[in-house]
Amino acid sequence: MRAVIEPFPALSPVPTLPVVAALQSIVPDGELVRGRTVLCSGDAAVSLALLVVAAATQAGSWLAVVGVPNLGLLAASEQGVALQRTVLVTPADNQREWASTVATVVDGFDVVMLEISRNITVSDARKLQTRIQARRAVLVVVDTARQRAVQSVFVPDVVLHTTTQQWHGLDDGAGHVQSRDVRVQVSGRRVPKPTQHCIHHVG
Amino acid sequence: MIAVDVTRVAVISCPDWQAVAAQCELQSRLRHEPCVAVLHAQRVVARTDVAASRGVLIGMRRREAQAACPELRIAAHNPERDRLMFEPVVRAVGELVPLVEVSTPGVILLATRGPSRYVGGDEVLAARLHAIAQSALADISAGVQIPFGVSIADGRLTAMIAAAQSARNRAPVVVAVGQSVQCLAQLPVAVLSDFAEVDRGVVSLLQRLGLAFLADVVAVKPAMLIGRFGPVGREMHRLASGLDRNPPITVEPPPERASTHRFDAPVEDVNTIVHVARGVADELVSHLGAHGASCVRLHICMQTDHGEQTDRVWYQPEGLTAAAMAERVRWQMEAWVAARGITSGVVLLRFNPVGLRAREGRQLGLWGGTTQADEWSARAIERLTATLGADSVQVAQWHGGRDPAEVFALTAASLVDLEHRGEPSPVGERVWLGALPSPSPSRVYAEPVSVLVLDADGKPLTVSGRHELSAPPAQIKIDQRVYDVVSWAGPWPVEERWWDPLRQRRMVRMQLVITRNTLPQALLLVLEFGKWWIAASYA
Repeated sequence: MRAVIEPFPALSPVPTLPVVAALQSIVPDGELVRGRTVLCSGDAAVSLALLVVAAATQAGSWLAVVGVPNLGLLAASEQGVALQRTVLVTPADNQREWASTVATVVDGFDVVMLEISRNITVSDARKLQTRIQARRAVLVVVDTARQRAVQSVFVPDVVLHTTTQQWHGLDDGAGHVQSRDVRVQVSGRRVPKPTQHCIHHVG
Repeated sequence: MIAVDVTRVAVISCPDWQAVAAQCELQSRLRHEPCVAVLHAQRVVARTDVAASRGVLIGMRRREAQAACPELRIAAHNPERDRLMFEPVVRAVGELVPLVEVSTPGVILLATRGPSRYVGGDEVLAARLHAIAQSALADISAGVQIPFGVSIADGRLTAMIAAAQSARNRAPVVVAVGQSVQCLAQLPVAVLSDFAEVDRGVVSLLQRLGLAFLADVVAVKPAMLIGRFGPVGREMHRLASGLDRNPPITVEPPPERASTHRFDAPVEDVNTIVHVARGVADELVSHLGAHGASCVRLHICMQTDHGEQTDRVWYQPEGLTAAAMAERVRWQMEAWVAARGITSGVVLLRFNPVGLRAREGRQLGLWGGTTQADEWSARAIERLTATLGADSVQVAQWHGGRDPAEVFALTAASLVDLEHRGEPSPVGERVWLGALPSPSPSRVYAEPVSVLVLDADGKPLTVSGRHELSAPPAQIKIDQRVYDVVSWAGPWPVEERWWDPLRQRRMVRMQLVITRNTLPQALLLVLEFGKWWIAASYA
């Protein structure tokens, strides 16, 4: 009899969080690698960011949404975000408290979602990213600016830039918004070769 | 025969306290409402006597309740209010009996052995408590008749049932020593769910098994009940026999059960005290857990450096978690401050677990239960609440509604028990008639943006009383910038709460796709108060 010693498949070398099936072919490594920063930008940024974190929250991770104003909670629940493990934090306006608030958030949550705002300085962003790496959390940054940012305060490991091509479901006066075709451009530090995907996105 | 493991207790209980508290609050704003019901997750959880006599039942939906009683006033579920409104009663009773137990707002329990001997017998004590409760409630109610009952009996369940009877008779009820079993025997099994938090499904199964009365449950061998129902079966058998729910722990009690914390300097800030209490509670819970026990009744004692002291016992049948203990400290502190019983900082905090239960009933699921992530997040939430304030740290709770903004309401995370929280949206109640079809917009504006909608001739778009558009939309104008409309759908009329002049809404919804920087963008527009607004967008 031959003894075959196989590596344990469950013990992957890099700790990761799952993503939904629709994104597995788009996100590098097919998973969210802990310690990384994912930037979702473009005109479907919010919706895509919710989809990115959905599977992780369902698997038991807690999500903190820090200063994403006017977030549609129903949309979050439709994308699959487990709202029983989601906490919405409104940070104080001034910049110093923003940094300390986010530091506390990173200590307690596996996934942190925040939106780019003018309050965030480059040094704060760097400190935050270092902390995310040390704590093995995942940072999802939302940037709804339509043009692709040349220079961001964050240095994202993965950039998912979205461009809506077409909306389906509306006909002059009839129907309702059902889905859209979104072009997702994947780039970033950890992406060796930028790729482009077209996805059929509901939401 | 007197059962050895049963405590003789007195109960002061106000049935449907949540509704009564809501009613008293309205009364204090000079609005007299005889019919009040409190809704939680769209179901009636409490209602006043008058509303009950009109046919409003616990568990009804909003519409059913309003159909039964058209003048019904619906109040929101507010545990904070229930607790604060009840505080004067607890304080008044506390003047006669120093150590009282508040399990839920509206119910006070106290062990009668000492107080009975002090005032001279159970009857005298019951009469005294009745008089105290009556005067305290009269002060709160400002003219409203508040139903309440006072009773003394062996064991919690008998005392609770006797208190309900006393509330109907408006006179205290005393069940003689050793008479509890006879009193319980003839009662239907439904009292187990009404007064002892046994699951309704289990009680219904008992009924279908032919065990209609508690005497029938007692007649069944405990082993059979345990075999069929597990730990709940044993609890039911004990309750039906007039005993306390959990047998006293027979093993040696863990040493150094009481945890005491002495502050180096007097502390005046409630948040600091609660923070320290959390640490002490963590130690206590893990200490008890190591001995296979969890705490169901906790005696919290605090002292100031001027020598003032507050004592109270808290009860939770499933066992208190560390977070729950810290929360009880906060409540007790707030009550103490409100009663002006405190003139200096706190120097001593003591947790004494007076009631323990074996932990066998709290087996968590193999994959479910509390994880490390839950614990970390709970701590982070606590710290954030302390630094930012309760309103800046929120969680979503399902509320229901037609508007995408209304379906989930935000509540302060510190007010929600995050450990025992299921999915916020109840299955099967998701879609409301007239709700916006899925997918929902990912940005819902708290303050809608005003917008001008124009037709092909550049004239403003209007909607007639018959919900007809004056012309198809061609362009919209936001802040003097014009965008072309690619496609559209609607108008969909929404008319809500037309019977209520304050909360009524009448509007028309429309979905548009516009071109913005050559890219399509979908928007949800609303026509309300004669103006178009961007209510939400699909970002």
